[in-house]
Amino acid sequence: MTASPLTATAGAPSRVRPAAASPTTKPARRGCRRAGAFYLFVAPWLVGLIGLTVFPLGYALWLSMTNSDGLSPNARFVGLRNYRELLSDPQTLQVLARTGLFTAVTVPATIVGGLFLALLVNRPIPGRAVFRTLLYLPAVVPPVAASLTFKLIFDRDTGAANALLEAVGVKPVTWLTDPFARYVLVMLVLWGCGNCMIISLAGLQDVPRELHEAAMVDGASTWQSFRRITVPIISPVLFFQVVTGIIAALQTFLPPVLLAPTAGATSDVKALPQGNTLYMVHVYAQYFNSARFGYASALLWVLFVIILIVTALIFKVGARTVFYGVDPKEGDR
Amino acid sequence: MSTRRFALFILLVAIVGLFLSPFAWLVIVALKDPSELAALHWLPEHPRPGNFVEAVTSIPFLGYARNSLMIAGIYSVLVTLTSAWVGFGFARLSAPGKRILFTILLATMMLPQIITLIPTYLIFSKLGMVDTYWPWVLWGLSGAAFLIFLFRQFFANMPRELEEAAVLDGCSYPRIFWSIFVPQSWPVLAASLVLSFTWSWGDYVGPVLLLSADRTTLPVAIATLYTNPQGIPSNNLLAAGSIIYIVPVLALFLFAQRGFVAGFSTSGLK
Repeated sequence: MTASPLTATAGAPSRVRPAAASPTTKPARRGCRRAGAFYLFVAPWLVGLIGLTVFPLGYALWLSMTNSDGLSPNARFVGLRNYRELLSDPQTLQVLARTGLFTAVTVPATIVGGLFLALLVNRPIPGRAVFRTLLYLPAVVPPVAASLTFKLIFDRDTGAANALLEAVGVKPVTWLTDPFARYVLVMLVLWGCGNCMIISLAGLQDVPRELHEAAMVDGASTWQSFRRITVPIISPVLFFQVVTGIIAALQTFLPPVLLAPTAGATSDVKALPQGNTLYMVHVYAQYFNSARFGYASALLWVLFVIILIVTALIFKVGARTVFYGVDPKEGDR
Repeated sequence: MSTRRFALFILLVAIVGLFLSPFAWLVIVALKDPSELAALHWLPEHPRPGNFVEAVTSIPFLGYARNSLMIAGIYSVLVTLTSAWVGFGFARLSAPGKRILFTILLATMMLPQIITLIPTYLIFSKLGMVDTYWPWVLWGLSGAAFLIFLFRQFFANMPRELEEAAVLDGCSYPRIFWSIFVPQSWPVLAASLVLSFTWSWGDYVGPVLLLSADRTTLPVAIATLYTNPQGIPSNNLLAAGSIIYIVPVLALFLFAQRGFVAGFSTSGLK
């Protein structure tokens, strides 16, 4: 199972201790009642999992083997034709590569940026609680408002970005179209790195101060002590950010769509600058602009499988490099 | 303050300035006169607070706000209660198959939401649930993996003595959950409410897919409706509307900061 290292961190299954059997009840019957109760409690989630996750995925799998357009009732089974087409469609492959690049750039950048900020606001400086709050604030802004704000800043004629360029004597740039649109998108993503900061900060607060003091006594430099003490100890937290970050980046949809120069852009995602047509945008266009529900479902399933494979690979690498062992609570369970 | 610490302080001030500058621009644009929108003006000559009023009155803003509030309210209350309920099961009870179910729960935290969204839309449309609030009721009633995990962590750390006497007295588990655990867990309940409310308030794709134009939510309205009669975006109203839309979230966040941070630190799976 892909999530096993995670389970180990959370200390999950072994963690729940059965309550001591009382002398008045027979253990066997109690166990039975507790099992029934357990299923009573997890039932809503389990039903939701089947109805709202497993079934839709299965439905998408079936659709992906038809030529459905979402409307006409007589969709025909076409087998793997959509998948074959997908693998030979240059546009799809290009979108896939672009999304991979986007992920490879934004995920490390937000994690490193977040860690950098976390290290800064973890220092004893006046007003650090205020700094933490303010740096986190952009991450709280709903994606729609964040995207629209960036659209206003990078507007060609009236935006602050071009005004700044003009002030230093550089010619204005049409930011929201190719080739610059992608940089705006990356900046927008980076603006929200307060999220990573908060998670890293939580990790940093678990690093025992004595370790750094001991390292200093032994003559270690700040960098050495960061590299050899801090990073290993917070590696589970960084690892978590890598996993969730990659999964989120691969599905990025809204910001590129809303950054498009046309108003009310969702109606025609095909008008997007090429550089910002990420995978999910492409899927959306196939569904709602081209009404190719079968092909789009195949695209969804391919993304799903890619995410599964990538997650499995990261967990494999993570199992070797991530250091679990500081949580004193884990030892005795 | 040592020189080094002072340099650090200055660096932080600079970074914070950079991070807050988009907000500043949003406010500046929101105060501009329409005549100042065609070319660049650094600062509005005659700031127009009236833009905020116009942003609310020129489109049915309050109606959309009510839709947003309804959806976010329904979803956050239901998802919090359900997640607490399921979290209690994972934290306090055991049964064969629990281990594998918990692994699946954690795996679904990693599962892409959007991948199921479009097939879900097709299913909902077949069930006649498009353009109703039923999808949010169903999503709420099935809990959210992250919140279930949050509640599980919290409940698992509560002392066993809490329920022991109740179990001996033959008290049912739903009763134990409701009268003993829920009253003890208001910090997590609050965190969960704030988080889920914020998610739902910020969600765009769900309402775009599932609701018609006049039943849709605030983010969709803001992104699409602020244009002048010529069809050109009225950026000053757009900015003003966005600010009104953001403020509740920021206020909620500042108000419930601890819960937010607690939630996110647990999400680091320490």
